[in-house]
Amino acid sequence: MFRKILIANRGEIAVRIIRACRDLNVSPVAVFSEADAGAPHVRLADEAYGIGPAPSIESYLQIERVVEAARLSGAEAIHPGYGFLAENASFAQAAADAGLVFIGPSAEAMRVMGEKTSARRAAVAAGVPVVPGTTEPLSSSDEAREVAASFGYPVMLKAAAGGGGKGMRLVGSEEELRSAFETARAEAAAAFGDPSVYLEKAVERPRHIEIQIFADSHGNYVHLGERECSIQRRHQKVIEECPSPINDAGLRAAMGQAAVSAARAVNYSGAGTVEFLVADATREFYFLEMNTRLQVEHPVTELVTGLDLVREQIAVAAGEPLSFTQDDVAWRGHAIECRVYAENPENNFLPSPGRITHLRVPAGPGVRDDGGVEEGAEVSIYYDPMISKLAAWGRTRAEAIDRLRRALDEYAVGGIKTTLPFFRELVRDPEFIAGRLDTGFIARFFERRAENAKKSETTAGEEDSAERRDMALVAAALDYALAQKQHPTNHQPREQDQSNWRLAGRAALHRRA
Amino acid sequence: MKLTAEIAGERHELDIRREGSRVTAEIDGRVYELEVSAPRPGVYLLLAGGRVYECRVGRPEKSREAAEVAVGRETYAVALADPKRLRGAQAAGAHAHGTSEIVAPMPGKVVRVLVEAGAEVEAGAGVVVVEAMKMQNEMKSPKAGKVTAVNVREGATVNAGDVLAVVE
Repeated sequence: MFRKILIANRGEIAVRIIRACRDLNVSPVAVFSEADAGAPHVRLADEAYGIGPAPSIESYLQIERVVEAARLSGAEAIHPGYGFLAENASFAQAAADAGLVFIGPSAEAMRVMGEKTSARRAAVAAGVPVVPGTTEPLSSSDEAREVAASFGYPVMLKAAAGGGGKGMRLVGSEEELRSAFETARAEAAAAFGDPSVYLEKAVERPRHIEIQIFADSHGNYVHLGERECSIQRRHQKVIEECPSPINDAGLRAAMGQAAVSAARAVNYSGAGTVEFLVADATREFYFLEMNTRLQVEHPVTELVTGLDLVREQIAVAAGEPLSFTQDDVAWRGHAIECRVYAENPENNFLPSPGRITHLRVPAGPGVRDDGGVEEGAEVSIYYDPMISKLAAWGRTRAEAIDRLRRALDEYAVGGIKTTLPFFRELVRDPEFIAGRLDTGFIARFFERRAENAKKSETTAGEEDSAERRDMALVAAALDYALAQKQHPTNHQPREQDQSNWRLAGRAALHRRA
Repeated sequence: MKLTAEIAGERHELDIRREGSRVTAEIDGRVYELEVSAPRPGVYLLLAGGRVYECRVGRPEKSREAAEVAVGRETYAVALADPKRLRGAQAAGAHAHGTSEIVAPMPGKVVRVLVEAGAEVEAGAGVVVVEAMKMQNEMKSPKAGKVTAVNVREGATVNAGDVLAVVE
């Protein structure tokens, strides 16, 4: 086992990896940008090294600086987390060249699976079904038009160097194609440094279902079942669950086997995820892509299988065999995770950076929160605006939803806008509760929401709302009065308000007497 | 203390009297006897007949008269008018009648300008595309009208709060 691991990441996932290190008695080393100097992931580490200014490109993406920090600290291994350099083959290579163990698959596996058209070719060669599409990037919008005509619309344009839903465009007809092609190329270039796009036939009512696989350096390959990630906004996952509401053991086994075949095809090691599209009506599945890293939504698999995937990643990288066989893996209960983001659901989910003035993170039975922020922290514009991943586990999907609803209601974040109100509505939505999911879910959810907004509330609801509004007025007035009393014209720091409140109260009492 | 307040599009008259932790609030003639504590800055716990209301007051516009109050799962924009102050209330986000400003919500770069000054637009039409955090965001016109100003061009960097375009 390693004595020391450097975590080449920040925020929630860095904290997650530090926790696995602590479980293993491995010393965690953090890196931080100037914006993260006081961040939780730094404070929880044993050592920390500054690697540059706030923008990721000047810090967390600086391969030489990260490797140098590892060298300075004496760390034997680097865990890249997800995002940043996690799927960067050059980084894996640089780590290997520096004599460090990269906690992940080989640079070669990352190269093959990282480029989407070569990944499709590898899947085809491994006998895994793929969505009909091009296996080479498109050279022009004319070529795109020809290929799209041969598949038939709708088609999906995707970034060859991409992932995470960026650089994807659904194209409904030939009229939309040229503009969509140009936008997709521009987004791909901005996000991944490579404008190449390719094209696939769009599957009808597709469900996004992915399989978690694990492999060690001793030739063992195991799949850990599926996660359903069909609820997406702009192709970004918003809420994930394990198992899929489909819950079909035969489908799970077939998809698991296909995923393992894809992983074997590139001599994979470590944690990986093979993403599939599943046609809702026929349950046919098609390889989409393989992510050669740990996924954001790994907690739902951990909750249902009882396994610690980060700990396993570290053990595998240290040369140990997997601590479980395929027969050992069992799925118990149901877990659902929400990505709580600093985004404003009332304004097209635009990021809402700012200081978190108040934070109450839920806890209690069946609730797990993976966060990387604290009260007083600044959610900056430089990074993913994630507050935390909130997951709930229950013996059944219904029980998991009960707990998730409770946890979402308990969660309180002040000072910034978050996606919490959106999730609170989602867990009460009849279609969500019924498990009728596919990638069109969000669009239909917003339509239902718009319809419901037109209908009036019940009388009881109106009474509750009226009193609640009155209380809001009282609170606003009290807050205003407090601010006025202390500093009639100047702005006053918030922190003094609490004691001033009590002082003002005593003064008011004495005046009465 | 007497105030006028606007919430959810309606105006109300408030009269708030405080004695220690007891607050008597009269709103449009409705009277509440409340137990109030402020456990943390900006957080007010109101007990109305034993019913719990945890209210978090924020001032996103940094203006004393414009507050955002979260009560339980709901959030309300509240605009206050203090008759004792010479300046009237500033409702959050108020604009001259009929004018809508399309404002950059955060720092970014203008990657496309979709309309020209003088163009007629429908509600929901894209006006400017701003790239930030590696995503392209199409800023849409909130109403149908005429674009009276386009303040940016392609390639410009913008800060949060910059007015990108005006639709009247």
